Amino acid sequence: MPVVILYFDRIKKILDKSIPKDKIIDTLPFIGLDIEDETADYINVEYSPNRPDYSTDYGIITSLQGLLGTKLGMPVLKIKNGKNSVKVDPSVSKVRPYVTAIEARNGKLDDETIRQIITMQEDLHNGLGRRRKKASIGIHDLEKIKFPLYYKTVTRDHSFVPLESETSMTVIEMLEKTETGKKYRHILDGNVKVPIIVDSAGQTISLPPIANAKLTEMNTKTCNLLVEVTATDKNAAEGVLAVIANTLQIAGFQLYSVKITGANNSTPALKSRDLVLEPELVNKTLGIEISNPLIVKSLRKSRLDAKMKGKKIVCTIPRYRTDIFGVMDLVEEVALGYGIQNLQPTMPESVSAGERNNITKTLETIRSLMIGLGYLEVMNFELTSKEILYGKTHRESSKIISVADSKSQEHIILRDILLPGMIEVLSRNIHESYPQKIFEIGTVFEKDSPIKEGIHLACLSAHKDVNFTEVKSVLQSLLKTGFNLSCNTVAQKELMFVDGRTGGIMINGKKFGSLGEVDTKVADNFKLRTPVAGFEINLTDLVF
Amino acid sequence: MSQVLHPIEQKILKTLIEKQNLTPEELCDMTKLSIDQIRRGIEWLKFKNLAHVTESEKNFVTLGARGKEAHEKGFPERQLVNYLKSLDGYSCEINDAKNYLKNEFSPAIANAKKNAWIEIHENRMLLKGYHDVTPEEKIIKSIASKNSAEMSVDELEDKNALDLLKKRPEFIISNSKKSVLVNLTEKGIETAKTVPDKIDMSETIPETSSQSDSADVKKVAKTISHTTDSLLVRAIDVEAPAPTIFAARSHPLRDVIDEVREIFVSLGFSEIIGNNIQSSFWNFDALFTPQDHPAREMQDTFYLKDITSGKVAKPDQIKKVSEAHKKGWNYQWQNEEARKLVLRTHTTCVTIRALADQQHDEARLFSIGRVFRNEKLSYKHLAEFHQVEGVVVGKNVTLRDLMGLQTEFYHKMGIKKIKFWPTFFPYTEPSLQSMIYNEKLGKWVELFGMGIFRPEVTKPLGIKNPVLAWGGGIERIAMLRYGLEDVRELYENKFGWLRSVPKCQ
Repeated sequence: MPVVILYFDRIKKILDKSIPKDKIIDTLPFIGLDIEDETADYINVEYSPNRPDYSTDYGIITSLQGLLGTKLGMPVLKIKNGKNSVKVDPSVSKVRPYVTAIEARNGKLDDETIRQIITMQEDLHNGLGRRRKKASIGIHDLEKIKFPLYYKTVTRDHSFVPLESETSMTVIEMLEKTETGKKYRHILDGNVKVPIIVDSAGQTISLPPIANAKLTEMNTKTCNLLVEVTATDKNAAEGVLAVIANTLQIAGFQLYSVKITGANNSTPALKSRDLVLEPELVNKTLGIEISNPLIVKSLRKSRLDAKMKGKKIVCTIPRYRTDIFGVMDLVEEVALGYGIQNLQPTMPESVSAGERNNITKTLETIRSLMIGLGYLEVMNFELTSKEILYGKTHRESSKIISVADSKSQEHIILRDILLPGMIEVLSRNIHESYPQKIFEIGTVFEKDSPIKEGIHLACLSAHKDVNFTEVKSVLQSLLKTGFNLSCNTVAQKELMFVDGRTGGIMINGKKFGSLGEVDTKVADNFKLRTPVAGFEINLTDLVF
Repeated sequence: MSQVLHPIEQKILKTLIEKQNLTPEELCDMTKLSIDQIRRGIEWLKFKNLAHVTESEKNFVTLGARGKEAHEKGFPERQLVNYLKSLDGYSCEINDAKNYLKNEFSPAIANAKKNAWIEIHENRMLLKGYHDVTPEEKIIKSIASKNSAEMSVDELEDKNALDLLKKRPEFIISNSKKSVLVNLTEKGIETAKTVPDKIDMSETIPETSSQSDSADVKKVAKTISHTTDSLLVRAIDVEAPAPTIFAARSHPLRDVIDEVREIFVSLGFSEIIGNNIQSSFWNFDALFTPQDHPAREMQDTFYLKDITSGKVAKPDQIKKVSEAHKKGWNYQWQNEEARKLVLRTHTTCVTIRALADQQHDEARLFSIGRVFRNEKLSYKHLAEFHQVEGVVVGKNVTLRDLMGLQTEFYHKMGIKKIKFWPTFFPYTEPSLQSMIYNEKLGKWVELFGMGIFRPEVTKPLGIKNPVLAWGGGIERIAMLRYGLEDVRELYENKFGWLRSVPKCQ
């Protein structure tokens, strides 16, 4: 989850009020933030990506004000009519059809404010922007731009000086050589031409969604900003723009509209919307009885606007709250404004008696029988490596089920039997006293259409006198005591076991598993110096 | 109740009460038991606080080459005396004596003169005085009389004479040995007094060094059968430590899983079981997680390589779920994407599917099992772990009920201090997380999450009543329970740990 740094001196300035530090820290979890670590000067908090307005301290403090009671209701965007415009060329419709923009004027930027804005930009790229695929952002120094701007496409030999570069580069070079180019060029795949934003003087200011121009980079002397968002989804573009506009307004900028024209694009309104909330839904869902005025007050503490209309409540939601889908989201907003700590737990009456699943019951019986027979339970991962599952055990590996792009080489293949992982357990315990007797009950996977998931039981006994007969006795006893079944073992060839000391486990004429003395070469592969014997049976086929 | 003592112990006690400060070797000599029996006996007595052992250094003397010669032929001066005695007039020319004694001449003259046994006049010597056995001769004789040809310095009373002997070359070899000395404690002295004079040593005939435990067992068995006639079973040392064996048992993590399951059952929940491999449809789409959501990317989720699901759900379910996505998330929903097979990232896919298929109006269900995340393993992350999830369906269930169930669950786990914070899950609204206060760590720890399924989840699947859902990872509870700092330890299957963790905590 993304992290935001909250400096206490900035909080104090933005809050414009002196609130004790402890009170602020205690309140943060109640707006849904996780405190990561805390120092004398700052605190790191994690926020859920559904709340992109929490990507800066400005947004977090807006919410804090509500719960602290210092400011209630919805922050209203004040957008004045601007003079500037962006003209959209129809050629972008196949690549990245939408653009939207706003101006933020007469603000002040210091280093920390710039850092917060850049973090917000990145978080929005990854979250609402879906790693820039759905929407991407350019924030520019307005003074460097000659309006109107043009959003159009160009060929890939087009060149300009991108951010973090001193020299002019072609689009091809940017996609091949820069880090961001390599990371995001797939978004432009399949298009000969690429989208750019150029100004009236022919200066390129942006190559969405890859890079912005060096020319318009903001710094601590910048007072006037242009924010543009390009997108494949108009709604997402406006959501992103609303979050930024709201943040910059809190940071002290004045907002001016930018006229967007051409090819299904339009000037963003960034308007709030209304939802009608039934008070009964609030009380019924939360299990409380609170009055309509208290519901209204709670919503306003959650920085939404609300008023009573007859027996219902009309709630107004600012454009930047992209996380609110419907009335149930408003119920949560009431709960937060009311205070989670004010909800007392109640215990609902049970309508039924609980019960373990029948499979669980049977497995518990088998487990207790194996323990009674002197075996210690082990638990291994279901994902393992080819080396352990097939290589070291000399098993045939034509039916591997593997996962894609595992971050760990040891967790790449779904086990089809339990024994290899258990031999590995013995090999990790050779310094422990013998006899060693272990068993495992676990899920294994068989490649089929669809894939079969089965539950197996396997056991191993390791000590200097172990042999085929010992483990066969264990199997017989388990089957007899557990299920009143008897079994035969018939000669078979199984590379994991010693030739002539292994048998297929036959119950009522059907094969359910294998039993044998582990082959010495296999044991060697696991660095075992003690003889090992064991068996594995398919419980799913046998008892379920 | 008097203590039962093994004959070996009795014998050692009896010996020590007569003479304290003995080495095991000395005890061996005196009791005629084997050194192994003595050592074992000493350990038993120590364990019972009847004897204690101090480390000490003991000095020993043995005879050197000339000392042995002196023992066989007499000291040089004694030889001289005897020679003179054999002569008429008890005198001789010095040169005759020199020829007789050869190399021993000088020490013989010097010591005989010192003992005032001879007088020398010009070149003749004359015997005189008394010729009693000297202290040095006594020492040589007593050392030689020892079987081991070795004698503790402590046993020699005339330390002066020993010093004199030490000055004579090759008579005496001194050495020291580190040794342990066995003593009786006060309790030991008391106990020793109760030892009968006649000790039944029939079981303790000196053993051979290859004696093993199984031989002991056989011997005991034999004794018992021999003595049944007389209905007399010799008592054994019930206080002696027994060999270590390990109880076969369930895995400690399994114990926690079982405990969690039992609590759910006791709260009226019935268990449902589902597959570990699920279609993306049930793992994500049915839970309102959009197809372009970062959680669905391969870097977080394990997708099966080259295999997709056939039919994922009923046509009506697919249609309504896809509509909810289009409406809520405003994108083109792809059936292809929903058919991708994943290792389930939570057990919620099992509960939601059961609710969708069974259409309960009122129910309490839970599912407990493995879930998977494509993560690099670390002290706090595993690629697969266990999760439990319970759901309550009911016409009148509330968020406070959910908090109550969670509180009751924690109480049954022995956790008393609980608080709730808001949080976010894609498929519940409102959503809460529970924090518990861990006494050992002295801090609040995040545990289970909970919430009410979103209408965007329940409506398309035809679930009419609200659904409360709550659950979380079990390994975290196990770590707190067993005081582990590294979650990987739960799957290392180290016998040292598996064999030693107490079942009841």
